[in-house]
Amino acid sequence: MSEGEMAIIKPEMMKSYIWLETADGSIQQVEQEVAMFCPMICQEVIQKGVGSSKNYAISLPQRVNPAMLSLIFDYCRFHQVPGRSNKERKVYDEKFIRMDTKRLCELTSAADSLQLKPLVDLTSRALARIIEGKTPEEIREIFHLPDDLTEEEKLEPLKNTMDDPRIRLLNRLYAKKRKELKEREKLKSVEVEEHVDERSVDDLLSFINGRDPKVVKTSKSKKKNKKRKEQKNGSSNGTCEALEKDLHNLDSKSQSAEIVDNTASCLGDVSNLPSMEDDIFTPKTEFEDGYIDDEIDPALKELLDREVEDFARRLNSSWVLSIGQERQPVNFSINGNGTSRRLTGPAAGHK
Amino acid sequence: MNNLPEDCIAKILSLTTPLDVCRLSAVSSIFRSAAGSDDVWNHFLPADFPAGFAAPAGLPTRKQLFFSLVDNPLLINGTLLSFSLERKSGNKCYMMAARALNIVWGHEQRYWHWISLPNTRFGEVAELIMVWWLEITGKINITLLSDDTLYAAYFVFKWNHSPYGFRQPVETSLVLADTESTDNVVQPSMISLMQDSGGEEGQSPVLRRDGWYEVELGQFFKRRGDLGEIEMSLKETKGPYEKKGLIVYGIEIRPVP
Repeated sequence: MSEGEMAIIKPEMMKSYIWLETADGSIQQVEQEVAMFCPMICQEVIQKGVGSSKNYAISLPQRVNPAMLSLIFDYCRFHQVPGRSNKERKVYDEKFIRMDTKRLCELTSAADSLQLKPLVDLTSRALARIIEGKTPEEIREIFHLPDDLTEEEKLEPLKNTMDDPRIRLLNRLYAKKRKELKEREKLKSVEVEEHVDERSVDDLLSFINGRDPKVVKTSKSKKKNKKRKEQKNGSSNGTCEALEKDLHNLDSKSQSAEIVDNTASCLGDVSNLPSMEDDIFTPKTEFEDGYIDDEIDPALKELLDREVEDFARRLNSSWVLSIGQERQPVNFSINGNGTSRRLTGPAAGHK
Repeated sequence: MNNLPEDCIAKILSLTTPLDVCRLSAVSSIFRSAAGSDDVWNHFLPADFPAGFAAPAGLPTRKQLFFSLVDNPLLINGTLLSFSLERKSGNKCYMMAARALNIVWGHEQRYWHWISLPNTRFGEVAELIMVWWLEITGKINITLLSDDTLYAAYFVFKWNHSPYGFRQPVETSLVLADTESTDNVVQPSMISLMQDSGGEEGQSPVLRRDGWYEVELGQFFKRRGDLGEIEMSLKETKGPYEKKGLIVYGIEIRPVP
């Protein structure tokens, strides 16, 4: 039937329609004023003169399927009416976007390809509200995304997320991991030596005890290990006090920053997250700029690699999760020696 | 979300927070790519920078500029004011140097002297030799700050080898100087600059990561379109005793977390 015939047969239908074809081949028609609300369709009609009949239906982009198209047109049909108040529109919008996440994504995609900016804004905001505060794992689950980043790539952003001394630990692990990966390529055989564990713990303890980093020796004896273990298990108060003194005595910028970092993480780790200690199996590293100690022998690679991944995983689950909460639990407020200290939060950089 | 193009993801990310964007760059490779895009970080950078702002060289991406401003406060207005961004939100933060403050008797060498200390972002800090009339005021134009944000002002200081006279509390006040409502009398609050002097009264000082102390002078909310100046002051002019040994770094203004 041609349009002319239709006009005669149904005189009361004064509306004109636009014909649209979705990627799957199905063709539908929609009232002109509704369709023209979409810039992309508008453009096709005006510039190319298509859409006026079934044979000249406008081909819609692939991202638009019939179900989404119908949703979009519901939206357009409501909003293209000029007389509605802002409040009415808002109420409609809020109801409109109540749909499952998958459909929200499809809708965003479809609206984007039709260049329907108000709807894209609406759905994007809804999706932003959904993803805010969630961990990467959760996002992957909700949206069925592939886990296609390397460990390194996953650890990288954590540097920027918090003004937290443990970031330095992370940086060291990251750099270490990077170096490991390089060296791994050269190696063939891997042996695990027994003293690996103790050394790691020792390094861990010295880090936690936050002794002046310059004083940390590269070679350790078992005796020292035991001593430090005792120290750690003993009064954390004493340690904190010593560190406070160190802090006030140093005037070098990087040193004091490091000491404060180590102090804070010492205090933080000792009192808030004892379980983290077990996970931070970092080998000895140079503290100054995160550069890795060269004396790690190849034998440790595999074990350290696992430890780093374990740490990273834990970061993903417990720590990164805590980043998402309003006030992260790692507020180091400790009255170790009567002084109350508080990190002033992630404000402008204090160096 | 598999079928969402990267620029849609970037748009969605730009509607979250810098913190979220960083965290979410660990989701998958397309998120990582979207999370690093300039479109997203342009959204978090202030729409308007303060006069005299010049982006540091060598920062090709907007994300790098953002974090550079978070971690490295920039000096504007010579060496009197530093500008930086708050990490979680991208809101603007400032610090006024001691030289930018009005320190009564600050020009008199027998009362205050101006020294340079390492690791401070300004050329000079003010060291109190001795004074009876302690009065330090700072003003900042509220339009410099980010809209719809709750800010707090902090007095940043430390002690030299022999402070004296600060066991008593000092008065602080923070007020929006509005030329119209001059009948507003603001009650000052009393704070103690020393940590161990019976701190039930108001705020007590906190040690910052840079080794200086800070104490909150007050809070204010900046709304879009607010005009005028915030006046902050700290004084001790009533006690009949001398004050010595205070070293003033400046006043920092940043969002309340």
